[in-house]
Amino acid sequence: MARYAMVIDLERCTGCRACVEACKVENNTPTANLWMYVFRFEEGEYPNTHVWFMPRPCMHCDNAPCVKVCPVGARYKRLDGLTATDWERCIGCRYCEVACPYGVNYFNWKDPAENYYLDWNDEDLAAVTGGTTPPYRNPDLDQPYGSEQRRVAGGGRAKGVIEKCTFCVHRVEQGLLPACVANCPLFALHFGDLDDPNSTVSRLLRRKPSFRLLEEQGTQPRVYYIGGKPPTTETRQIEEVKARV
Amino acid sequence: MRTTLTLLLIVVGFGLQVVSYFFLAAPWGIPSSPAYSNPRVPFAPTIFILGVVLVFLAAVVYELLPERGQ
Amino acid sequence: MTVRTERLPYGVGRLTGGWYVLIGVLLAFVVLGLYAYSRQLAVGEAVTGMRDIGTMGGATWGLYVAFVVYFVGVSFAGITVAALIRLMNLEFLKPIARMAEVLTVIALILGAFSILADVGRPLRAILNLFRYARPQSPFFGTFTLVISGYLFASLVYLYLDGRRDAALLARIPGKLQGFYRAWAAGYRDTPAERERHERASFWLAIAILPLLVTAHSTLGFVFGIQVGRPGWFSALQAPGFVLLAGVSGVGLLIVIAAILRKVLNVPDQLSPQVFRWLANFLMVLTVAYLYFVIVELLTTTYAAHYHEVEVSRALLVGEYAWLYWASLAFLVVPFLVLFAQFITQRYNIPLIVLSGMLVNLAAIGKRYLIVVPSQTHGTLLPYGTGAYAPTWVEYSIVLGLFALGALLFVLFVKLFPIMEVPETLVSEGAAQQVIEGG
Repeated sequence: MARYAMVIDLERCTGCRACVEACKVENNTPTANLWMYVFRFEEGEYPNTHVWFMPRPCMHCDNAPCVKVCPVGARYKRLDGLTATDWERCIGCRYCEVACPYGVNYFNWKDPAENYYLDWNDEDLAAVTGGTTPPYRNPDLDQPYGSEQRRVAGGGRAKGVIEKCTFCVHRVEQGLLPACVANCPLFALHFGDLDDPNSTVSRLLRRKPSFRLLEEQGTQPRVYYIGGKPPTTETRQIEEVKARV
Repeated sequence: MRTTLTLLLIVVGFGLQVVSYFFLAAPWGIPSSPAYSNPRVPFAPTIFILGVVLVFLAAVVYELLPERGQ
Repeated sequence: MTVRTERLPYGVGRLTGGWYVLIGVLLAFVVLGLYAYSRQLAVGEAVTGMRDIGTMGGATWGLYVAFVVYFVGVSFAGITVAALIRLMNLEFLKPIARMAEVLTVIALILGAFSILADVGRPLRAILNLFRYARPQSPFFGTFTLVISGYLFASLVYLYLDGRRDAALLARIPGKLQGFYRAWAAGYRDTPAERERHERASFWLAIAILPLLVTAHSTLGFVFGIQVGRPGWFSALQAPGFVLLAGVSGVGLLIVIAAILRKVLNVPDQLSPQVFRWLANFLMVLTVAYLYFVIVELLTTTYAAHYHEVEVSRALLVGEYAWLYWASLAFLVVPFLVLFAQFITQRYNIPLIVLSGMLVNLAAIGKRYLIVVPSQTHGTLLPYGTGAYAPTWVEYSIVLGLFALGALLFVLFVKLFPIMEVPETLVSEGAAQQVIEGG
């Protein structure tokens, strides 16, 4: 069984937020729900300042607080290390959201639209995408997975349930990379199997020093950052995103 | 008879609680697999509640059971 | 023998004009709540002020969760008082036993409804909790012990305690006779039955007290064991919940007892002695809770973690300061009032009632302050501070729940004597008639 992990190279990230966009198109998440988010940070006082960027997917923790508190087991840990949400079992109590120190859970405050971002019938678009299946017609997003046959892929499914980053489980199961990783123009995001010593993530983590976010919380995240340092209490967001439902 | 039945209800009630909490419901622990998120027996929580209810129902039985021979 | 036949005691079954007006007003508020809830069901919880923590800069638990905690807290009073009367032989408190038990049952029902108002998928919640609930989630205790176990235990207590009165009332002819006969279920008040009831309720009281501590603690654990939210992670959380539950529950019981004393005109049964005891009990609980508040305050401000201090700052001098200090004042002032009465041994019922009201406002405030600030000001990643303000939907639903509670209480008062019926109130003549006639 694979042990999936993500490695994020902060040295390479330019804060372009292409990953955020890719995630939204792939998973059709409601507008305000940022499964993948990129912090734009600044530190220090003028003239001695420093600007840097930090992508924030779900950390898919090994000791996930959200899984522990879920009253009905809708949030659960898969054997391949992904922390999944069964939106068919979720009762919408939002306990996972208050338990999560990273703020990666998003509630569907109202009925999600079938298609949010692109007009897939547009001919010009079809010429570019080359017949890619739109998310709302992607059968992979609608299929129950694994031996349990639970519905964990895709977003914008139903009103009143929690959704969060799935590491694009439907792509990963087909041997593809998560949409954010596949679409990063600077290869700042890496995804792979930690059990395979030759995978990109294993090699990167061997070569470079890394950290994980809020490691002191004991959550054992599966997202590793290299080429930088964690945000401190002095770190400020340049522009606070206030996404509105 | 009355006392026996009452005690029986209490014992069975507590028994159901213990068994369902520790052996039938989803186990405690660092959740590393889906097993931690599913009850080992479906509706295990209902069995637990049934146990709680039985314990307190014992009081009703104790008071309401008609006297024998009347 | 003074004969006062055919009249049920304490205004049971007598529907006055004022009562109808009250029912109408309460129903209007319940309908308002239902309308608000229908909006929420139709549109989704976007109609509330709640939003996601983090990039949406909101609080995902708001007024509903604060009131889940408040209502479950209020339920403390009934069973505690009932159990204390039984275990400590406080005979003079018997007149408030039943109203306390009814308060417990109603408060728990309201707590359950608040949970349903909060969850995104109410119907699925009911089914899936029975089907999948996990003991590791602190909600397991809330759902199995508090809502199911505690409610059932309180109903059993209320039912068994009412049998004697039901048997007495069943002798009086009237529309409700069948109901009383069913409730009495063959109770004849023989010495054997009386002794059996004594024994059963003694053991019930013994069984309920640990359930009470466990139940209120599990609710505290919902917050107290979450390390990811500054301001929540504290071993004081669970015992603090038990204490504040006592403060609000006893406070509300005082208010209800005073209202019934006026309305039913029973100054002798609900004697000043009863209020004196309740006042002293409330004083002890309040000062114990104040001690907890101070300990908590010192711990989180003295040498705390950066994020803990941020949340404390929001509470003490920031956005929530007005609510924090008001809540604290509403605890301190009642304590001082009650303490002064205790010292001088001169008790004033209006002042005691005022104290009961104030501590309830304080309890609501404190519940809100436990739930909300840790979400808006307690993000560990630098998301920036959030904000939360309830909308009319949330206010209406909470108001509707209060009205529903009052409605259930008022209906019960007309259906069954809210206080234990003294033997003399039911005339022997009427009893004789019934026995001869049928």
